[in-house]
Amino acid sequence: MIARKVIWITAVAVALAAGASQFLYLTKYTYFRKYASINGLSLVEAQRAWGRPDKNSEWVMGLATEAFLENWDKVSALAAEDHHNLLGTYYYNLSNAKRGQLPDKLLDYYQPFERGLFLPVNDKASAFQIGCAGDVWWALGYMPLAERDAMLGLTFSPAHNGSRFLRRLAEANLVKGDHEAASKYLRILLNSPADRAWAKRRLPGQWSPQYQLAIEEKRALLPRMDYVHGMDQVQIILRVMLNSNPSNRMALDYLLCYDLLTKDLDAFVADFAPSLTASRLYEEAMLIFLASKGGMDMDNFRHYNISENTLERFNRFVTIYKRDNGAMANLTQDFGKTYWYYFYFAQRNEKQ
Amino acid sequence: MKNSNIITAFLCLVLLLGCGRSYDVRPSGDGTDHRTALFPDYRDVTIPCNIAPLNFYYTAAEGSGFVTAFSCGKLSRTIRGREVVWKEKTWKKWLQSAKGTNIQVVSSYKTPSGPVSFTWTIHVSEDPIDGYLTYRLIEPGFEVWDDLEILERNLESFDVRAISDYRNTQNKCMNCHIHSQGRGDLSMFYLRGKGGGAILNRDGTLRKLTLKNAGMISPTVYGEIHPGGRWGVFSTNIIIPAMHSLDNRRMEVYDTASDLCVADFDGGHMLTSPAYAREDVFETFPVFSADGASVYYCAAPAGKLPAQLEQMRYSLVRIPFDSENGTLGSPADTLWSGPAHQASACHPKASPDGRWLLFTVADYGTFPINHRECDLALMDLQSGNLLPMEAVNADRSDTYHSWSSNSKWFVFASKRGDGMFGKPWFSHVSPDGMVSKAFLLPQKDPHFYDHMLRSFNVPDLGNAPVPFDAREIGRIWQEVEAEPFD
Repeated sequence: MIARKVIWITAVAVALAAGASQFLYLTKYTYFRKYASINGLSLVEAQRAWGRPDKNSEWVMGLATEAFLENWDKVSALAAEDHHNLLGTYYYNLSNAKRGQLPDKLLDYYQPFERGLFLPVNDKASAFQIGCAGDVWWALGYMPLAERDAMLGLTFSPAHNGSRFLRRLAEANLVKGDHEAASKYLRILLNSPADRAWAKRRLPGQWSPQYQLAIEEKRALLPRMDYVHGMDQVQIILRVMLNSNPSNRMALDYLLCYDLLTKDLDAFVADFAPSLTASRLYEEAMLIFLASKGGMDMDNFRHYNISENTLERFNRFVTIYKRDNGAMANLTQDFGKTYWYYFYFAQRNEKQ
Repeated sequence: MKNSNIITAFLCLVLLLGCGRSYDVRPSGDGTDHRTALFPDYRDVTIPCNIAPLNFYYTAAEGSGFVTAFSCGKLSRTIRGREVVWKEKTWKKWLQSAKGTNIQVVSSYKTPSGPVSFTWTIHVSEDPIDGYLTYRLIEPGFEVWDDLEILERNLESFDVRAISDYRNTQNKCMNCHIHSQGRGDLSMFYLRGKGGGAILNRDGTLRKLTLKNAGMISPTVYGEIHPGGRWGVFSTNIIIPAMHSLDNRRMEVYDTASDLCVADFDGGHMLTSPAYAREDVFETFPVFSADGASVYYCAAPAGKLPAQLEQMRYSLVRIPFDSENGTLGSPADTLWSGPAHQASACHPKASPDGRWLLFTVADYGTFPINHRECDLALMDLQSGNLLPMEAVNADRSDTYHSWSSNSKWFVFASKRGDGMFGKPWFSHVSPDGMVSKAFLLPQKDPHFYDHMLRSFNVPDLGNAPVPFDAREIGRIWQEVEAEPFD
């Protein structure tokens, strides 16, 4: 009888200890916990869906969570260390773009071609990646894709729920002026203690002047012409946006960086507006174009704001490149973070 | 002190439980998508005599003291509270008593601006509706899926069962289930991807078919089974998804080619004809007439797409069908001209009694689901006239309809309200073509639709339950080879 009791007590104690240890382990990963919460999952459900957290998952969940909360300084701090990770690059670029520094810092970091600007949304993409893909469209002010990616995020999330996607769906519709659609999501959020205050501030008819202003700012970025485009026609979408709002600097920088990362120099030259944006990156790209088209003259240098320093460095790059028959070894140290280096040596990894 | 600590701890526990992560949507009229005093708005509707209880709630966020008094002949009943929920047995008794008459309702409650009271009726039609509704549940709008399921709801109760689902098919894509003239023993749907095929249910026998031969531009897409059961008429479509940059039309889908074909389910053949595979004409959405002697479909001259998308206006066409040898005949008779109406017809569906043709009309194209202007149109096939449909249509997309086998009721998917999530609505058609105000599929929990984040896709009525379930479909998906068609 006593032996039985001992066995029982031991079993219960072991179970409790295992549970406590598991709980402590999970709570150690703060972002795992927060990310689970905004996806409408308990810790146990989250672990079942995403596996045990580790340093890497904690890092990417941190990026996604802080981006969701629009804490861009924290996103920037988390992304500062280059992990050669697609999501890291995506949020690194986005946090720089928020400060108007996208082109200036672009090549200081791992860039897996255009994928670090706009996350691919296709059958090879992970559910996590799809869930993050709309953040850039929201920031750029393109609501059709911000809404689509939030809906896809919801579709592929383990609970098919969660404030992360419901908030975006609500706000994208508020910006578009579809208050009926927004109300559906806001009413669900009103019933979640963590989201109630957030949702209440956004209920149609109850906006503060500050929120009204924030919505108006987003609405100003909306395209004013209808254009039917394919799901992944990024350049066309950005051009449609810029056609309506040429001063959308973030959209312009994203378009130009997209052109450059895909090495589409003709598109870059056609899209470039020197009066609206400037960066050493653009100067470097323009020099490759001018050199290849026989346009290396002072008029062009002036028109495209190409500095003497950039021109002098370009000449040095070309000299070494020719001397070494196109080998990269002697260029890496001084030119590894230039567009010239990227243009001549970066190779697309087709497996990604 | 000790007591107060215990009470505090208890309250904390209650708060903790109450502050769980669940999204319990009740009660609330916040927002702008519920503009009516009750949701669902069952005021002054006509309902079938065999429908499940019409449970609803009052949307007045600051209302209190809700009282709802029902009366019909000698029966009377008062329900207090924001949520008005009936016991199924009691409701059935009321429907039997009220058949052919009205249930009178008085609603009253208090608001900060004063008391509110209004009266309304529910007309209980003597015409029953088919007892079963199949639909696919899917996140709306963007042609992707996860955890799909096709469900069958018993309309006389709240019972729901899966007739195909992701659990038994390793999360495969599946398209919507359609009955032939509301028959539970004659229906089909597609399982897509590896191990998939068209699942044909004929008299309870299930077959998995590959409805494609080398000459077709795609596997079969839209279509219907002939009332005789031997034939199926289908379109084959090259479908391109795209998006609008403006106007909240969200996703647009268009065809860059589409043809018609006939499947011979007995012989295992696909029958195609050059007359209905022309490159200069797009043909789509074919269905049979009630007697099976004709095929209705939509057709438009081929255009350059997407540039000419807004000029794509499909007409409604009828051609003869020879049910002896399965051939699509000629001439084509245009019942409704898209160019003449500066609009586009989609999804024709003939009533099983042959009297009516229900179709949708949008400004352009073949994918009206996100077109806010898309409405249902009802044609009297005896006169060719269109009948007024104001009582049915709303300011959001109304489409994907099907008939009850007695031709007295139809169901359709409407995005009215939030504009995003399709829900099944029903309307009655009188012998002279008068349609009644549409009512929403009732649910046990009146707040059901508030937390529903999926669309009811292609609701389709059946007069009997289909003789299979999700497990059987899973077995067929895994174990049965799809029959090739030549």
